[in-house]
Amino acid sequence: MEERPQHCLSRLLDNSALKQQELPIHRLYFTARRVLFVFFATGIFCLCMGIILILSARSTQEIEINYTRICANCAKLQENASNFDKECTCSIPFYLSGKMMGNVYMYYKLYGFYQNLYLYIRSRSNRQLVGKDVKAVEDCAPFKMSDNKTPIVPCGAIANSMFNDTIILSHNINSSVQIKVPMLKSRLTWWTDKYVKFQNLSSKNLADEFRGKIHTVAQYTTTKPPNWPKPIYDLDKKDPRNNGFLNDDFIVWMRAAAFPTFKKLYGRLNRTHHFIEGLPAGNYSFNITYNFPVTRFHGEKSVVLSTLTWCGGNSLFLGLAYTVTGAMTWLASFAMMAIHIMLKNKKMSFFHQ
Amino acid sequence: MFCFMVEVERIVKANDREYNEKFQYADNRIHTSKYNILTFLPINLFEQFQRVANAYFLCLLILQLIPEISSLTWFTTIVPLVLVITMTAVKDATDDYFRHKSDNQVNNRQSEVLINSKLQNEKWMNVKVGDIIKLENNQFVAADLLLLSSSEPHGLCYVETAELDGETNLKVRHALSVTSELGADISRLAGFDGIVVCEVPNNKLDKFMGILSWKDSKHSLNNEKIILRGCILRNTSWCFGMVIFAGPDTKLMQNSGKTKFKRTSIDRLMNTLVLWIFGFLICLGIILAIGNSIWESQTGDQFRTFLFWNEGEKSSVFSGFLTFWSYIIILNTVVPISLYVSVEVIRLGHSYFINWDRKMYYSRKAIPAEARTTTLNEELGQIEYIFSDKTGTLTQNIMTFKRCSINGRIYGEVHDDLDQKTEITQEKEPVDFSVKSQADREFQFFDHNLMESIKMGDPKVHEFLRLLALCHTVMSEENSAGELIYQVQSPDEGALVTAARNFGFIFKSRTPETITIEELGTLATYQLLAFLDFNNTRKRMSVIVRNPEGQIKLYSKGADTILFEKLHPSNEVLLSLTSDHLSEFAGEGLRTLAIAYRDLDDKYFKEWHKMLEDANAATEERDERIAGLYEEIERDLMLLGATAVEDKLQEGVIETVTSLSLANIKIWVLTGDKQETAINIGYACNMLTDDMNDVFVIAGNNAVEVREELRKAKQNLFGQNRNFSNGHVVCEKKQQLELDSIVEETLTGDYALIINGHSLAHALESDVKNDLLELACMCKTVICCRVTPLQKAQVVELVKKYRNAVTLAIGDGANDVSMIKSAHIGIGISGQEGLQAVLASDYSFAQFRYLQRLLLVHGRWSYFRMCKFLCYFFYKNFAFTLVHFWFGFFCGFSAQIALDTSYWTFINHVFIWGSIAIYFSILFTMHSNGIFGIFPNQFPFVGNARHSLTQKCIWLVILLTTVASVMPVVAFRFLKVDLYPTLSDQIRRWQKAQKKARPPSSRRPRTRRSSSRRSGYAFAHQEGYGELITSGKNMRAKNPPPTSGLEKTHYNSTSWIENLCKKTTDTVSSFSQDKTVKL
Repeated sequence: MEERPQHCLSRLLDNSALKQQELPIHRLYFTARRVLFVFFATGIFCLCMGIILILSARSTQEIEINYTRICANCAKLQENASNFDKECTCSIPFYLSGKMMGNVYMYYKLYGFYQNLYLYIRSRSNRQLVGKDVKAVEDCAPFKMSDNKTPIVPCGAIANSMFNDTIILSHNINSSVQIKVPMLKSRLTWWTDKYVKFQNLSSKNLADEFRGKIHTVAQYTTTKPPNWPKPIYDLDKKDPRNNGFLNDDFIVWMRAAAFPTFKKLYGRLNRTHHFIEGLPAGNYSFNITYNFPVTRFHGEKSVVLSTLTWCGGNSLFLGLAYTVTGAMTWLASFAMMAIHIMLKNKKMSFFHQ
Repeated sequence: MFCFMVEVERIVKANDREYNEKFQYADNRIHTSKYNILTFLPINLFEQFQRVANAYFLCLLILQLIPEISSLTWFTTIVPLVLVITMTAVKDATDDYFRHKSDNQVNNRQSEVLINSKLQNEKWMNVKVGDIIKLENNQFVAADLLLLSSSEPHGLCYVETAELDGETNLKVRHALSVTSELGADISRLAGFDGIVVCEVPNNKLDKFMGILSWKDSKHSLNNEKIILRGCILRNTSWCFGMVIFAGPDTKLMQNSGKTKFKRTSIDRLMNTLVLWIFGFLICLGIILAIGNSIWESQTGDQFRTFLFWNEGEKSSVFSGFLTFWSYIIILNTVVPISLYVSVEVIRLGHSYFINWDRKMYYSRKAIPAEARTTTLNEELGQIEYIFSDKTGTLTQNIMTFKRCSINGRIYGEVHDDLDQKTEITQEKEPVDFSVKSQADREFQFFDHNLMESIKMGDPKVHEFLRLLALCHTVMSEENSAGELIYQVQSPDEGALVTAARNFGFIFKSRTPETITIEELGTLATYQLLAFLDFNNTRKRMSVIVRNPEGQIKLYSKGADTILFEKLHPSNEVLLSLTSDHLSEFAGEGLRTLAIAYRDLDDKYFKEWHKMLEDANAATEERDERIAGLYEEIERDLMLLGATAVEDKLQEGVIETVTSLSLANIKIWVLTGDKQETAINIGYACNMLTDDMNDVFVIAGNNAVEVREELRKAKQNLFGQNRNFSNGHVVCEKKQQLELDSIVEETLTGDYALIINGHSLAHALESDVKNDLLELACMCKTVICCRVTPLQKAQVVELVKKYRNAVTLAIGDGANDVSMIKSAHIGIGISGQEGLQAVLASDYSFAQFRYLQRLLLVHGRWSYFRMCKFLCYFFYKNFAFTLVHFWFGFFCGFSAQIALDTSYWTFINHVFIWGSIAIYFSILFTMHSNGIFGIFPNQFPFVGNARHSLTQKCIWLVILLTTVASVMPVVAFRFLKVDLYPTLSDQIRRWQKAQKKARPPSSRRPRTRRSSSRRSGYAFAHQEGYGELITSGKNMRAKNPPPTSGLEKTHYNSTSWIENLCKKTTDTVSSFSQDKTVKL
């Protein structure tokens, strides 16, 4: 019947399942048994998950101390422009009723600080921060150059507005003995930030590098950001490696927060000697060197001590969400079962008639 | 000056270019291309930016170039935009290149033009109005010509008009007698200086009005004197013509509808949606801008320390204004550019599925289906009306002699060993005709009994075949190889004569007075005494011949209903037997004819013949008297039997039509054929059935009559319906009634409408249009016969415009082009001789039956997929973009983006068909340290993914979101199946139950449709051909002169043309000399 040989057909039109649209399909058929089983199982899973999450969230401990008002004198002092470089400290005593077990983390928390403003976020130079080219400041408006035309290092609005309060936690064993709680300033950042995104210049001596002493040429001279009391190579006097762009506090600040209320990691407990199991209960105090102005934008700041569990901090949201979802799923499955059985009975009676 | 004037009439002077030039008529060059090299860029860009999406993104691009506003980098927009525009431009350019090529090919065809009293070869494009052109046999006609003279006597010439109206039969044109005298005399032709005043260019193929003034006398011109561009000269060795219309003014070009840009309803929906979304975007922008102003005035002030803004440099209102534009840019992804690209890509994919489909591959001619337009696939699933051509589309235009009933015995049925009737299969051995040198090799007959009967010398069988060989209007010719070639006027007759020839009764030649046939090897010459021609009322034709033995016989064939009344009473037994056979034939959709003869004695015939001559000479009531005489002699006939000829349908037409109408798709047949033929095919392919409540035939001659008939039909229909409404049908249709309040939808019962081209022309007038449409849409089947190409398009337009329905036109010939172009979707049948239909079409395949798969499989799937895709696309865009809206409330409405739009858009645009693998590999690259090392400023994402994906919390959130999104959908689907099951759900449930109950039974063989309908004398037959034969005017000079001494002509030889014209006034006036059947 076919005059043309078969190979012609196969050559022209591939007989593959894809081209002939004959790929196997699986269509979910929603039988009552399957659907209800899935619903009940999901409901149980969600409920269990929710309870676990809530329990674990409740097992964390968190202390937050808002020191905006407590340290109001310092703020007032600094609002006066003539005193802006005067050092002001304030001490905030508090009582830790139960001991905080395990790893304890210290955060600072800012309220109403819009780190997510478009112009603010844009005002940084990743090229500079990665240590490639100190002069790469073109993205940093309005903090590009100092008045004498030397590039600001680090440039940009984010760097300029860095949080620069110093917070020291001390344990008051009794009224006379105060132990400074040892805090680690390492591994506060993301790994990629510390080892990829932020790099110092290759030189051994940071100060020289930034001051431009190696290169006698004047254009390599740099300036510190206007709001900073200290230059970038002088941020951590105790640990010379924690300086320059690789300063952990600096890196943490440079990762802009997504919401106007945010907390950033400031330090983690060094579990040695007295604090090997965490923070024991007792009297403590924060000694804060007050530098960072928040009253000007009606913001607030606080310091937070917290422990973590496997699933993060003490937020109840996820646990509650799981519980609610689980409960809803169960409700829905009961409702569906009821509807299905009702319809089935109706159909049966219809057939029997 | 002249070009500003509206042409009211055209004045052309022959052989006078200077005179004609002052009218600035168009020359013979045609342009179908759109651009040239210089205009391509501006025009194409202009066209492209008319598309809403492109314009929108151009605006967006401009906005992004303003640094104060731009919150996204400009290349996120320009890359996809440029990509889209170049792709489209390249496609347009290639399309136009091919149009240029075909234009050039046509424009550079050669023709012989009479210039400066010499015949010169000239390109078609240089032919001017008023030139005289010489055409030769089988040449295409270059322009619309006034025929001046030809090689044939009386200035006759034959043309084939397949390109114009799809009819493959030949048409005759004849020159004015004054001009035909010019002959081939070049000097006289060069001296011809007649002036033609005629109508302005128009698209009416069958009308021409004009006056030729020459030598102080005026001659009126009509369509008979005009040869149109696109025709092919046939059977005429040469002819001369004067160019009246050239190039774009020709009727062919005027008839070629403009190529319209076809768009699907999804496209339109998309455009509206995009507009709405744009409005939505503006609203979002305004809300955010207001928010920004408020935020700036309340909170933003205090942040100036961090940003060093000077006091008063930016007011909060101005900031809000800038924010508005910034947000327009950020949120632009709600208005999706990639939507248009993605939709195109998906459609392209679907087109490939169509091209690849083996089930639409015609292996016999090795033609795969082809989606020539890639943008219409999903519309295929939305078709409501199909407009189909008949010849070549539904039918193969092949007539085959299938069966016959001779003297109460059926021949042509095939019995297997168990004496059961079986289908004719390829394995069955056909009757071997190869022993006969004159046999037609293509003819096949599967019943050996007939051959045996002939050999046995059954006189009735012999008489039957002799009749088939004698009683017809076929002309024979011998070609150069000495083979007999039959020139047939209707393919049915061709089939009958060819059948007789294969069974040994070979029609050899004819003169006006004799017919020579070869009867089983012996030559016999019959004297043709009278020719009782066919006409529509008689529905039969007869010849009266004197056989070599000297007996006078009347042989008659015709519609069974008519002929049975003329039989001699002694035929009663045979009649009932034959009648049964005829019913059987008709039930199989065969075209039937009854065959009868009568012996006449000399005396009676002489008397009758004398009366006939008297009647012919009479001036009054001539036609009536002749008709009476015909009646008189055609009586007391002896029935011989009946024939059944199959107008071969294309394979699978019946099944296709049935399943398409099951899908509620209405099929209209628009054909250039005669009404009887069209109806016959309607029955053959189950569009018309005996179960139909009524079949309305509209055949009015003027607008008033047509409207009357339409209204009556409608009344009739409503009346019947009302009666029906009382019955049980109401319950069944009740649901539908509630759903659909439109009257016509509530109709019960099947109706059919048949309307001819002449009535259609009136029905398409403005005030009758609605009546027609209303009636037609209520009918299950509509058949329009004798329609012109333009009318086909008009009908399509009508339905398109007033019914708001999606239409599909399918056809194979040049006459279907306009219809194909004007329907939403045009389909060309490929593998035929002409290519025009395929070239104009959107889809092409080789067989009508593939329509089923195209519409019900490809169209449906395309539509489903497209809808799903659109839903997901809009969902994705909204989900993605609204994040930024909500984030605006947290970031002081400062147009900061929460997520990296840049890489999202990048991925969206370049990797639309996005495999997950590519998505992730790009993601990993962009988040890799390496790329950050190279571009620290552009790719600051390093570490984000790594950090977030290592947190357990994130995974828990992802899990929860998945559960929360999936569960409601599952619940919804489950409940929907339970509460509101769709048809497919029910079917699936039923199938499941069936499967459980018992294994699937094998399909029962389809029972034959039984029909009491007998096809009438449904020949594509025209009156007047008999006169032509007896006058001998169409006999070539090379035919042997009549040997008989009876040198009488029945009619005045010059008057036959007028006779012909008079009798065929209401149809397209041409007599047909149909296809040439090869021996």
